[in-house]
Amino acid sequence: MKHLIPEFEELKKRLPPGKNGTLVLPCLHRIQDDRGYIADEDITGLVEYLGVPRIQIEEVLSFYTMLRRKPIGRWHVQVCRNVSCSMRGAERLIDHVSRHLGVKPGQTTADGRFTLSTVECLGSCGTAPVVMVNERYHELQDAQSLDKLLGELTQQ
Amino acid sequence: MPEIFINGKPYQAEPDQTVLQVCRENGIYIPYFCWHPQLSVVGNCRICMVEEEGRGVDIGCNMPVKAGMRVLTESDEVKEHRKAILQFITLNHPVDCGICDKAGECVLQDYHYEYNGAPSISSDPKVRSTKFYDLSDRIVLDNERCILCSRCVRFTSEISKSCGLGIEERGDTSLVRPSTDGSFRNDAYSDNVVDICPVGALLSRSFFYKSRVWYLQTTPSVCPGCERGCSINVWHRKQEWHLQSLDTAENTSIARVTPLENMAVNGPWICNKGRDLAKIFERKRAEGAMAKGKPVSLAEAIAAARQLIVGAARPVALVSSWGSNEELEAFRSALGASFTSRVKADHQPEPGEVVEDDVLIRADKNPNSARARELFGTAPAVIPADADLVLVWGEGCDFSKIPAGARIILLGSYLAPENGHADVFLPISIQTERNGHYTNFQGVVSGFEACFPKAPGVVDAEAVFAGLGGAAS
Amino acid sequence: MTGRKILMDFEVTPTSHTLEAYAARGGYQTVSRVLREMKPTDVTKEVTEAGIQGRGGASFPAGRKWQVVDPHDGEPHYLLANADEGEPGTFKDRWILENAPHKLLESMLIAAYALGCRNTFVYIRGEFDLPYRRLQAAVEEAYKAGYFGEKILGSGFSCDIYVFRGGGAYVCGEASSLLASVEGIRGYPRNRPPRLTVKGLYQCPTVVNNVETLSNLAWILRHGAAEYRKVGTPKSPGTRLISISGHVNRPGVYEVELGYPWRKFLDEDCGGILGGRKLKAIIPGGISSQVLPGETAYELMLSHEALWDVNSSLGSGGMIAIAEGTCMVRLLQIMLRFYHHESCGQCTPCREGMGWAHRVIDRIVAGQGRPEDIDTLIRISKFNDGTTICGLGDAAGYATVDFIKHFRDEFEYFIEHKRSKNDGRLECLPEVANA
Repeated sequence: MKHLIPEFEELKKRLPPGKNGTLVLPCLHRIQDDRGYIADEDITGLVEYLGVPRIQIEEVLSFYTMLRRKPIGRWHVQVCRNVSCSMRGAERLIDHVSRHLGVKPGQTTADGRFTLSTVECLGSCGTAPVVMVNERYHELQDAQSLDKLLGELTQQ
Repeated sequence: MPEIFINGKPYQAEPDQTVLQVCRENGIYIPYFCWHPQLSVVGNCRICMVEEEGRGVDIGCNMPVKAGMRVLTESDEVKEHRKAILQFITLNHPVDCGICDKAGECVLQDYHYEYNGAPSISSDPKVRSTKFYDLSDRIVLDNERCILCSRCVRFTSEISKSCGLGIEERGDTSLVRPSTDGSFRNDAYSDNVVDICPVGALLSRSFFYKSRVWYLQTTPSVCPGCERGCSINVWHRKQEWHLQSLDTAENTSIARVTPLENMAVNGPWICNKGRDLAKIFERKRAEGAMAKGKPVSLAEAIAAARQLIVGAARPVALVSSWGSNEELEAFRSALGASFTSRVKADHQPEPGEVVEDDVLIRADKNPNSARARELFGTAPAVIPADADLVLVWGEGCDFSKIPAGARIILLGSYLAPENGHADVFLPISIQTERNGHYTNFQGVVSGFEACFPKAPGVVDAEAVFAGLGGAAS
Repeated sequence: MTGRKILMDFEVTPTSHTLEAYAARGGYQTVSRVLREMKPTDVTKEVTEAGIQGRGGASFPAGRKWQVVDPHDGEPHYLLANADEGEPGTFKDRWILENAPHKLLESMLIAAYALGCRNTFVYIRGEFDLPYRRLQAAVEEAYKAGYFGEKILGSGFSCDIYVFRGGGAYVCGEASSLLASVEGIRGYPRNRPPRLTVKGLYQCPTVVNNVETLSNLAWILRHGAAEYRKVGTPKSPGTRLISISGHVNRPGVYEVELGYPWRKFLDEDCGGILGGRKLKAIIPGGISSQVLPGETAYELMLSHEALWDVNSSLGSGGMIAIAEGTCMVRLLQIMLRFYHHESCGQCTPCREGMGWAHRVIDRIVAGQGRPEDIDTLIRISKFNDGTTICGLGDAAGYATVDFIKHFRDEFEYFIEHKRSKNDGRLECLPEVANA
């Protein structure tokens, strides 16, 4: 993660001085954007850069659901299964995409392309069902539109 | 000085106190798991709730006192509340009491008996988790028993400052885990978490399955590991539980060592070296007096030693920094005039041992250097080249430094090759076999009491000095 | 038309969120005037007189929160806009972030000035996509135009803003958990005392306000507290953004003047219930607010006091309409699964209680319910009421108790017959599709 340090130094400009803890989540997000996950050596590098105890980083990594310590598929397909989405067909959608990809939620396809997850409310209830693929929200999804989307992603 | 009312009676409080602190000071007991007098307040166990009249219940450990407030600690609502919290804590807590070392000194057991006593209302299977997880080679963790009070985590963060422990994951799958940089393994105070864990989640490997605590008694003592002289409790078998057969060595062995709270010296903590005192005290003992390796009776040995002292022109004594205040005084009065005395450092830091830190550990690994130096000076323990008699009291003497022609009187407790080379060898008692006092580096005097009878053939150093004394006159 | 408009007072176009468009509508003139003509305590006074209540969930009056902070005590102060928006059913703050981010930014400047904050943050949930990009772009625009940074608009007031992304935890919507997150540790809520306005971020006086609450300030300071009071009801001044979803024909975000009739809102503005069905139940303000039977909702107006009167609340403004034929047991199952997943695990009642309640309802839905299970769910809820560090445990409890209170027959049926009274239905589909 050392090559990201100049970026991290930039972030400090709009933050109160001397509060290295505040950089923990922003740095972890950036490292994960860069590598796809957070490796042990990233933790070591971050501990050294910020001067925080290693256990703090390890606790944070296990607490926040968006952060991961292992790589996943190229496309992270996250289907919301909370109240409003379930009321508009999310459960059928999850079944469908699970069969379509051949994996259960929590698993990655054999070709490493897609990881399927079910997630909690994404704040998109009015345009349910919503599917988040990597950082993008795809709203008002149904089996057809999702098949189309996955087809497009397979080409990329 | 606000006045508050607890259960209808008035009490004086300090303005920055909490209700829990005022209750403790006045002997009113409120149950708690996560609160600890030396650690930050987290208020996560929720069992210390008390009722403030007109305002309902809230945790007492974080409730600031207000003049005139009226608190109830035993109202019906408080009692119902304690029952409810115990229902939650025991929801997934395994009923391991029969195989758990903590039984008999377990806060959860005590509270369940005192405040709840009712079986669980859940009919679902308990959530399973990791058992026998090695946090280090000294501490075992059982996550099923853990109630996530976070005392251990706060200890490593606030007291030992190793930041060795943390809590990973979320919700009821949260787990206490060690940092992967090994900082808990290297934490010289790690074993204190076993004391402060309110349940049997954190257990000491060296005490694992060794004994039920109700077979043991404690004797107050002082740790000899360094010049801090922390107050400790030495645990050993109660008289009435002494074994008559099988391994009777159990009757005179140290089951474990725990801190004895002493706010003037060590608070409620000790370092790991103090836990391992059996390693020092249970080495093989020297059990017979000898003259140049030949077993002799004690009387013969004392007589021979007296002869040597009378006949010496330039006798030098290396005084033990593990001698108690009483033994040092006995040496001074019996033999101080006859010898040029130097204080010896019986023990040096071992490789890998923490030398000094800003918590408890001091570089001088001897418990009574302060008093010894007070009586015998601070000159280094170098033996003059013209010495013709060297009296070595205790360990740590480099025998190669003794001038070639000099005679040696050796007072020692443990088996060592030097014992056979000395002109006279006298086997002396160790700390756990007698009463005495040490003076620590801050001048604080602490006492220790005998745990065990003297090993066979062993004699107190004080008696030896009395026997040798008056030789010069 | 759902009453007067304060936030949605412009036409949304592909560029209406930009600084240029906002400035053309009079944007940043209010903060200009405030910095020139008002003292910080004057601003707080205005906000207090306006009586605006928090729109994040607790409805606590913003002015009362602010009054604890003394802008001249010499300590650093912090202002954080809570854009964590994780309460299921709620998606109205994102409307502001996507379409009116400068309203938020100008309002935050006004608030920061009033509270003496050199540094401000928007804590935005990590998952948000377009709202984050629009907000970040707006921040850059604002800096470039000189609205943030040193000595803003020629005044002595300097202020920085940082958009802080969360890591995926519902509990971080709770103010003290949010601050823990910003401090770089696990999002564990904290006990009060001390209040955050006394010891908050880095142990300094801190105000955390919801995005919508803050975004109203530009209007309030422009038109004055008295004008604001003319909108809404005496006990619920102003408007609220309601995000409605579930079984309505036109789900979405609506700005509703408080006091507006609920029936009108549902039947006219939201296009009525899917398939012309009857409204069985409605969750008014996020799943942590108490569910109401449909008939009750139709009799009420949308205001804080009207809902408090029936032991419910407008909460986070996340309304979920539930049509006839929906299985309430399965709905509660989804909610308890959510709370179980999101419990931070710090305090005993919530940590153990959420898992316990989830396991019980899973068993009921799997056809293995026992008669005592309903009582157990209620007891778990009562044990969590007022005994936890934060409101997550209480919220789950209130939701559970009221679901059972109004729909007990469905729970009893499920336990006795080992299946749902409504075939486990969650969707509102035409009769034909419900095979």
